[in-house]
Amino acid sequence: MPRSLYVFSFALALTFLAAACRSTHTDHAPNYLVAAIESYPLQLDPRYATDANGVRIGNLIYNSLLRADPNSQLRPELAESLRLLDDRTYAVDLRQDVTFQNGQPLTAADVKFTYESILDSNNRSPKRGNLKPLRAIEQTGAYQLRFHLVAPHAPFIEQLTLGIVPASSPANPGLSTQAPPGSGPFMLEAAEPGEQITLRRNPHYWEHEPPLGGVIFRMIPDALVRVLEFKKGNIDLMQNDIEPDMVPWLKKNTAADVGAYPGTTFQYIGINLTHPILQNVKVRRALAYAIDRESLVRHILKGIGTVAGGVLSPLNWAYEENIEPWPYDPERAKQLLDEAGFPDPDGDGPLPRFRLSFKTTNIDLRRRIAEAIKEQLQKVGIELDVRSYEWAAFYSDIKKGNFHLYSLAWVGILDPDILFQIFHSSSFPPAGDNRGHYSNPEVDHLLEQGRATNNQQERKQIYAKAQKLLAQDLPYVPLWWWKNVIVKKPTVQNFIPYPDGEMISLKQTRWAANAQ
Amino acid sequence: MKRYLLYRLALLLPTLFGVLTLVFLFIHLTPGDPVDIMLGETASAADRQELRQILGLNQPLSQQYRSFLINFLRGDLGQSLYEGRTVAALVTERYPATLELALCAMSAALLISFPLAIWSAVRRGRWTDRATLMFSLLGLSMPNFWLGPLVMIIFSIQLGWLPVSGRGGPDHLVLPALTLGLGMTALLIRILRTNLLRVMGEDYVQTARAKGLSERSVWLKHMLRNALLSLVTIASLQFGSLLAGSLITETIFSWPGIGRLTMQAIEMRDYPLVQGCVLMISLSYVFLNFITDLIYRWVDPRITYGN
Repeated sequence: MPRSLYVFSFALALTFLAAACRSTHTDHAPNYLVAAIESYPLQLDPRYATDANGVRIGNLIYNSLLRADPNSQLRPELAESLRLLDDRTYAVDLRQDVTFQNGQPLTAADVKFTYESILDSNNRSPKRGNLKPLRAIEQTGAYQLRFHLVAPHAPFIEQLTLGIVPASSPANPGLSTQAPPGSGPFMLEAAEPGEQITLRRNPHYWEHEPPLGGVIFRMIPDALVRVLEFKKGNIDLMQNDIEPDMVPWLKKNTAADVGAYPGTTFQYIGINLTHPILQNVKVRRALAYAIDRESLVRHILKGIGTVAGGVLSPLNWAYEENIEPWPYDPERAKQLLDEAGFPDPDGDGPLPRFRLSFKTTNIDLRRRIAEAIKEQLQKVGIELDVRSYEWAAFYSDIKKGNFHLYSLAWVGILDPDILFQIFHSSSFPPAGDNRGHYSNPEVDHLLEQGRATNNQQERKQIYAKAQKLLAQDLPYVPLWWWKNVIVKKPTVQNFIPYPDGEMISLKQTRWAANAQ
Repeated sequence: MKRYLLYRLALLLPTLFGVLTLVFLFIHLTPGDPVDIMLGETASAADRQELRQILGLNQPLSQQYRSFLINFLRGDLGQSLYEGRTVAALVTERYPATLELALCAMSAALLISFPLAIWSAVRRGRWTDRATLMFSLLGLSMPNFWLGPLVMIIFSIQLGWLPVSGRGGPDHLVLPALTLGLGMTALLIRILRTNLLRVMGEDYVQTARAKGLSERSVWLKHMLRNALLSLVTIASLQFGSLLAGSLITETIFSWPGIGRLTMQAIEMRDYPLVQGCVLMISLSYVFLNFITDLIYRWVDPRITYGN
């Protein structure tokens, strides 16, 4: 036997030995809950986290001044009281019984530090842009602060949901492995990049001691494998990231407790209004009539969605309920296209009225949705050229305005001021995200009014008008609001669904008495 | 031999230089902007510009390329744009997982394919031969994205013998190694069997038999060794692709290897990390090629690398 063969066998034996020495993932302390996630969080530090899992897991570690409740209403968390001194000054009194997980008390200095750390351009925080309306933050006592704004700006209140880190936490700590301590119900126990993140309960949590010993977020990138792991019993909880097709299978083949709950994620078709055909509002309305949302939701989404009429979800306080979804009416669509000056050249024949491109990401479900929409539009004589791209290339094209039609979603929208960023004529890229170059002076005026008014009732009326105008002008064709799908073992109790997919209720989740 | 070693080392530099240049150009010229992905939707144009400046992305490409090469020569691969850690740390953290899986898949393939190929060649035309060929046809035609879930459903869900996914003890290695190794096993069986059948009729085999060597000796010393040469080439190429990390198998089995890291870096346009991953992959190819050359020499002593 040649020497190289010995070397090879030796290396092999070492590999097995190394593998044998590693602990297996299923060995975790009892009373821990295992949740499956699709992608590994990039950052947990609330000053940097922008990816969905980073934010959701971070919210279990960090508290913020305000926090949205299960009805998307902002409620005080670290703030004991929040007062508006004048139209541009907020005064905050902090709770005095909160300590960080390292034992230090949480004071106004920490809050001030957190916000100032984001404002410091050297720290490269992606959230700096959100704090633009903030002029200064002033500490008026050990537990008192004031936020001074540049001008009246009602949506600023949403920025008070930022997680608070201890003063002098290092900037840009990098991945989760070194996230600063928080004051939330769980603390970081271990981070294994690409594999899992383990949180341990914070026994000194100021609200109450969480019933769970901890939570393990296991990253399983493949949707089918997540379902198989659940079937095998290795996963206790999954939220979203579930292929609609697999829901019926799960219900039939496992004891899972499967539920779909109203969510705020809004799926739409974005339209380029500088395109000679699409700038005609009749064409846009024809698109809305020609897409059968009901059947898309029923057959492709398997019911995991609610057909959308306007842009803000029914869970938003500013939602305008007097907007009906566009009905499916291909005949009306054809008529509108004829009126717009795009007759069908050969009736029911193969020639289209016109061709448009439709951009989407290369995720399987998105492609299927795009193909179904293509088929529906074909029936009224519009030829769609579906192009799917990987995310970065897709996003780059959309940002540059390089599209006719595209489909994307809004995630985690709390304040209706999002409309300013998307539909105000001063928000053309690169200043904002009005990528389709929509411009209506009336809408502009309403959106300016909406952010300068602090009274919520007045704001609601202003945004109601804006939503009605948008529903007529159709700079977006609304598709649906995604539902949040929660799959859990029946023994997992007190997990409350949040419309934006937050998992904060893990702090009160417990095992049924007969489990474990 | 020493001269050969030096020669190979000298060859390493232009190879790496070429690879790094190509990767640098490809990733920078692909549409997509890391600043957009990092700063998200709400950042102002000024913030974007500022970050571009901090990261050096506003400089002309030639300038960026120069500083990249200079840093590389200093042994500095830079920092990941997102994770705030060095590229070297990220790559070395993930590489062992890929190496572990590749070694197991490769050894499974060798251990299964050798006996089956020899057996099949010895009993050519009988049902065992046909069964082996059938098996190898199946192995070649099954894509990993299908085979992976299939073995998972059979061995983890139905039989409950093995874990479904994730990296852990040796039992976690079995299914991904099987999935990765099966296609290779099938290929190696076909090549080795064909080679054995080819050398079977050679004069030196007749001679060996005529001079009274045992059948075992004829097979192992004369036939197998001569049939090995092209097998070594194929096996090393296959092993090389395993060392680059298999994206599909790593994704299906939630295996934290270099393949998935590379893919994630490309998706996020994490330029330094993409360059680091590709560097690691090409280094393993170069190293593997070198080992292959050494094995050639052992298989066929007529091969020399003196001059």
